[in-house]
Amino acid sequence: MLDPLKVAIDHNLVVVTLATYVVGTLVLIGYFLLRTPVLQRAGMVLACLACLLQFVELGTRWNMTGVWPLTNLYGSLSLFSGLGVLIYIIFASKYDLWLIGGGVLGISAIAFGYATTWNEGYMPAVPALQSYWIKVHVPIVVSSYASFMVAFVVSCLYLFKSYAERRFSSGTRVVRAQAAGNAGSTVSMTVAAPPVSSLEATAARTETPGVAAAAAAGDPFALWLAGLPSLARLDMLTYRIIAIGLVLLSVGIITGAMWANEAWGAYWQWDPKETAALLSWIIYASFMHLHTRSAWRGERGAWVSIVGFASIMFCYLGVNIWISGLHSYKM
Amino acid sequence: MEALGRNTLGGLKSAVKELVDEFLLLFANILFAVSLFAVWGVFTLIGVIVDQNKGDAFYWQNYSPVLARVVLRLHMDNIYHSPAYIGIIGLILISMTVATFRRVIPARLPALRPVKIDKIPLHASVHVEGDEQDVRSRVQRFFAERGWQIRKREFGGEEWSFVDKHNWARRGVLVAHVGFVIIAAGTTIYWASGYSGQFTVLSGTTATIPQTGATVALKQFGYRIDPVVTKSGVVYQPIDYVSHATVTGKDGVARDAVIRVNQPYDVDGVKVYQATYGFGITFVLTKDGRVIAGPPATPLKEGESFDIPGTSRAIQYRSFVGTIDRRTGDAGRDPRPNDPGVVLAAFDGDSPLGQVLVPLGKALDLGAGYALTPQKYTLYSGFQYRYDPGISLVLIGAVVLVLGLCISFYLLPARLYVVITGSAHSWDVGIAATTVKGYDIFEDRFRDIVDALRRTPQAS
Repeated sequence: MLDPLKVAIDHNLVVVTLATYVVGTLVLIGYFLLRTPVLQRAGMVLACLACLLQFVELGTRWNMTGVWPLTNLYGSLSLFSGLGVLIYIIFASKYDLWLIGGGVLGISAIAFGYATTWNEGYMPAVPALQSYWIKVHVPIVVSSYASFMVAFVVSCLYLFKSYAERRFSSGTRVVRAQAAGNAGSTVSMTVAAPPVSSLEATAARTETPGVAAAAAAGDPFALWLAGLPSLARLDMLTYRIIAIGLVLLSVGIITGAMWANEAWGAYWQWDPKETAALLSWIIYASFMHLHTRSAWRGERGAWVSIVGFASIMFCYLGVNIWISGLHSYKM
Repeated sequence: MEALGRNTLGGLKSAVKELVDEFLLLFANILFAVSLFAVWGVFTLIGVIVDQNKGDAFYWQNYSPVLARVVLRLHMDNIYHSPAYIGIIGLILISMTVATFRRVIPARLPALRPVKIDKIPLHASVHVEGDEQDVRSRVQRFFAERGWQIRKREFGGEEWSFVDKHNWARRGVLVAHVGFVIIAAGTTIYWASGYSGQFTVLSGTTATIPQTGATVALKQFGYRIDPVVTKSGVVYQPIDYVSHATVTGKDGVARDAVIRVNQPYDVDGVKVYQATYGFGITFVLTKDGRVIAGPPATPLKEGESFDIPGTSRAIQYRSFVGTIDRRTGDAGRDPRPNDPGVVLAAFDGDSPLGQVLVPLGKALDLGAGYALTPQKYTLYSGFQYRYDPGISLVLIGAVVLVLGLCISFYLLPARLYVVITGSAHSWDVGIAATTVKGYDIFEDRFRDIVDALRRTPQAS
């Protein structure tokens, strides 16, 4: 019989955690748009709080039932949300990347909100999941998913800025600016078309001349865009985060194979989950290979990262929910 | 004639050399490798989406005729063992090998030559006060203390320092590729000399592993299924499956074994795994009230069938029902055998006649004086066994692969070009940096290095 007090605490923790994610998302979106330090500080606190609450909630479940809380989709999605925010906090602290917090916390909020729809209560683990490997394999794999989620958000930001730059730098754009001492007048500015050679393309990737020119002319959107991290920096951060995620995914697949060898008598059975994970691994390994070529960094790399995250979502949720196999542990 | 032969041979040699060079160039190309990855990914995705190894009938029944034809014609029903899939993995291994020896190993940081510092995107200048020797030794100490390897060269009377870090780490890709090859070797060893299989044992009987002659005598199979109250109602959750057996290996000694899911038993290097379980049923067939031969004396397992003597009819034992809902007469949700029954299907030749749920101990009237009674159930246990002599190699390969990934992702081979210019007590330390992965990835580190150098005494 479960302690009713602990059950009530757990229920409240779920609600408070979800609310913290949602408020944190709104605050960090506010910071993304307005860049006010107070919103950044509040967002940082809320992100840390949401992450902490998420782990406390999982810990409470574990303490209450004595069952490792990652035996079903609810537990694993909860961990995904918490780890996504944790990885974001680590990278944001190291690389001053708090701006992407709205995206990360937003996805975490959606993932945790969706997780609650799979929360069937407190269930013991089926025999296949009664193994010490669940404490090794699942957190590693889920942390790789969380890393790729953060990389996905950075890639989206890259594409956003890159396409905005393209808009500013392609053909002729009339920038209306209220120049000081020239109030009411209109400044027309022609910006050259994007360069074509690979060397010039690299230069264009590391700079945003269109945005810079428009910002200098006082375009408010360009001024706002100029405050975002540089494209080169976003590309480098995507690479660094995927480098973490790919190693974690590799270790996750290997530990999963070791567990499968112990539970099912074969380290690889071409189960849909295994092969979907292999597919994601192939995509991210391709990203790392392509990143060695300057022409494939930047925009193309960002698209590969986005396709990679779509494959992760397919592997994580699509296979679990729609395709039956050895990994069908929804409830 | 001889000259013509020599010319022909020479032409042939140069044509072959050209062909080999083209081949090596193609297989060493990263984009070609990624294209192979893309094809591998598409094949893998097909394997995830299309049901595998289900038999032709399954695809004709469950897929549209066009799709079923495509799946079967293109061998998508067993794609992971198809020549195309194995071929693409083979091509990737060749590409990895060629790329390793043609690109990865020869790739080096630039030669030790002076550069135009301000033409390199990552460059800085730090002003240092002091006499020349002191400044040079301080700069050298600064890099040495931070683990940089320093090489000095003089060009036109000017001393240049080439400061390297993690230069060896470019071998990380080689290590990762070697890991892959080791995994492939371990898998090949299993294909060549390993084996696996399945068997079922009824409680009280013995089964033999054919390859080794080891026997597994099942004393008892036990299971535990608990009703758990969830938000959507009661769920019957399996908690434990356990086989209590006596296992006899090559040494002839019988040993007690407890085999559970996640806890295999090792006999002579062959691992025996708890895989499935089921309910064997003993049937009694009567004709006009007298017991007649028909069903086998041993219990039937799910899916097995027998003929009714003197007729063209057959009975198949489809499935076991733990609890029959007394109100409806249908199968209840509780899988535990509280009020058990069996689902039987009848066939006339190949034509199905229908199926019916029969409580255990109750006779089913088959017509023409025949009656069939499912009498009792006997639990049986299903085991998987596997002998894999390549598994240690696969594990070693996996560790090497991850090690290679870590080296190539986290250790960045970088080169700093350092030149000290100035006179008397005023010196400028010019620094430029390059890496094997471009400049952006090193920007933060370079800034930290320059800041640290600026913070040293007499520097600004």
